[in-house]
Amino acid sequence: MSTPILAVREVVRTFGGLRAVDGASFDVEQGSITALIGPNGAGKSTLFNVVSGFLSAEGGSVQFEGRRIDRAPSHRIARRGLVRTFQVPRTLTRLSVLDNVLLAASGHPGERLSGLLLRPARARAYERKTRHRAHELLELVRLDKHAQDYAGVLSGGQRKLLDFARVLMTEPRLVLLDEPMAGVNPVLGRQLLEHVLQLRAEGGMTFLFVEHDLAVVMEASDRVIVMNEGRVIASGTPTDVRSDERVVDAYLGVVPPT
Amino acid sequence: MSTIASFGFWSFVGIVAGIYTLFALGVQVQFGFAGLLNFGHVAFMGIGAYTMAILVVKEDMNMWAAAGCGVLLAMLGGVLLGLPTLRLRADYFAITTIAFSEILRYVATNEDRLTGGSQGTINLAGIGKTAQYDDQWRSFLGSVESGLHVGGDVAMLIVVWTVALLAVVAVWLMMKTPWGRVLKSIREDEDAAASLGKNVFAYKLQALVVGAALGAIAGLFYAWQFSYFSPDDFAPLLTFFAWMIVILGGLGKAWTVPVGAIVFGVIFAGTRFFDFPPFSLLDSTERAYLRLIVIGLVIIGLMLFRPQGIFGSRREMVLE
Repeated sequence: MSTPILAVREVVRTFGGLRAVDGASFDVEQGSITALIGPNGAGKSTLFNVVSGFLSAEGGSVQFEGRRIDRAPSHRIARRGLVRTFQVPRTLTRLSVLDNVLLAASGHPGERLSGLLLRPARARAYERKTRHRAHELLELVRLDKHAQDYAGVLSGGQRKLLDFARVLMTEPRLVLLDEPMAGVNPVLGRQLLEHVLQLRAEGGMTFLFVEHDLAVVMEASDRVIVMNEGRVIASGTPTDVRSDERVVDAYLGVVPPT
Repeated sequence: MSTIASFGFWSFVGIVAGIYTLFALGVQVQFGFAGLLNFGHVAFMGIGAYTMAILVVKEDMNMWAAAGCGVLLAMLGGVLLGLPTLRLRADYFAITTIAFSEILRYVATNEDRLTGGSQGTINLAGIGKTAQYDDQWRSFLGSVESGLHVGGDVAMLIVVWTVALLAVVAVWLMMKTPWGRVLKSIREDEDAAASLGKNVFAYKLQALVVGAALGAIAGLFYAWQFSYFSPDDFAPLLTFFAWMIVILGGLGKAWTVPVGAIVFGVIFAGTRFFDFPPFSLLDSTERAYLRLIVIGLVIIGLMLFRPQGIFGSRREMVLE
């Protein structure tokens, strides 16, 4: 087996007395679609925040493509190709839908003052290319008709799709999706799922997602990681995990026998 | 001829509005575009004006070079202010900025040997000598006058507004670039911007520094217009004038700034013509305080009926 694209080792993160993530370890394999599940309060979102650099880890390490990222700031992690979405989409409401996507372009020379002033033609050319790609992505998530509207007019489900398009614009290698299906109507959700499968098949993109809809998890993922009380309690194929006693206990809220 | 019909008076109002345009444009870049609550903006104006005056008087430097140094030093001041504070939450940042401007003002008041102290720039060359920093400016303005066949006030008006409008156009163009897009995204949601790989801190620092440069340019014109200034000219109230202008005109657009500055300037100057009852019951100094009351009422009225400002976008205000 090749080295994992993401290796989380003994990560600890507390909030006061609460050990939200309490020594969690797992791997995400290159090119996989991995689901992260667990009951509410299991530490999934905190773990996402630690991996993406929005919270610092108090212990343990996170490696992305073999390099430590647990001390790196969030924007640098994103630039390396590990990009996340948020549970509640972080839509930039007073920017146009198109601008939301354009913003996500990585390495844009026009985003640097030096690039703008010294090589304006290059910045313009890059912007044209970016615009073309942004329109493609908006078509992909069926938001092309709204391109010029303020993103604030979009519905909750559409915002999730916009977030998704934005993440793809960054050309990520590992995408962290925080409850991508929540609040999205089933038809759109189905489309989103198909995009994920297609992107993995075509571009070799890796996905790690938090999801409460177990039917989606069982259908879409190749591997499932189960968290409870800040720790990883099981991982494996969807079938393995479903029959795991500890997982059943965690979901039923029964204290596992020690 | 009464003051209200006097051309000289209104051209003075116009000159001050032009200076305020440059000054408030800095706040527009920092707050209107990047979302930074800078309540210490007047510090940059002071750094620009004082650096120029000190270098001209004490170092005998060419005034234009000294002016350039003033702008550069204000930008450096922006970096020094931003480095330790920009990672703070917005409200704490606001508090530290106002402290920054007050600290500089107190230093300028007490370091007489460097700044002339509370006596102002007239004291720059030492006690008993009258210091002037604007001889070169006077001769420049004189050549504009003779070149365009206009009076001194008009020449100043033309120069100030040429620079102010060039700055407005430059900011407007900057905001249409991908760089401006990143600034606006930070104003909207800096976590979202960071999640897409944008170095939020670096962009905030750049916005602060660009705003500082504009503030310093305004400070230079302030110094040239009045030929004399003292630390008290750079009290926090001036920062809030810039905020009022930006709010009056409308947030998030470059061209609303000159409009706000003109409206502000007219209200500010106009209150002195309130010499009819009941205002005639007040003496002229009391009436001078009326202008702040009037501007306060205008802003309250705007917040009630047009929270987006005179030309701001209502739609942008209601989006969540």
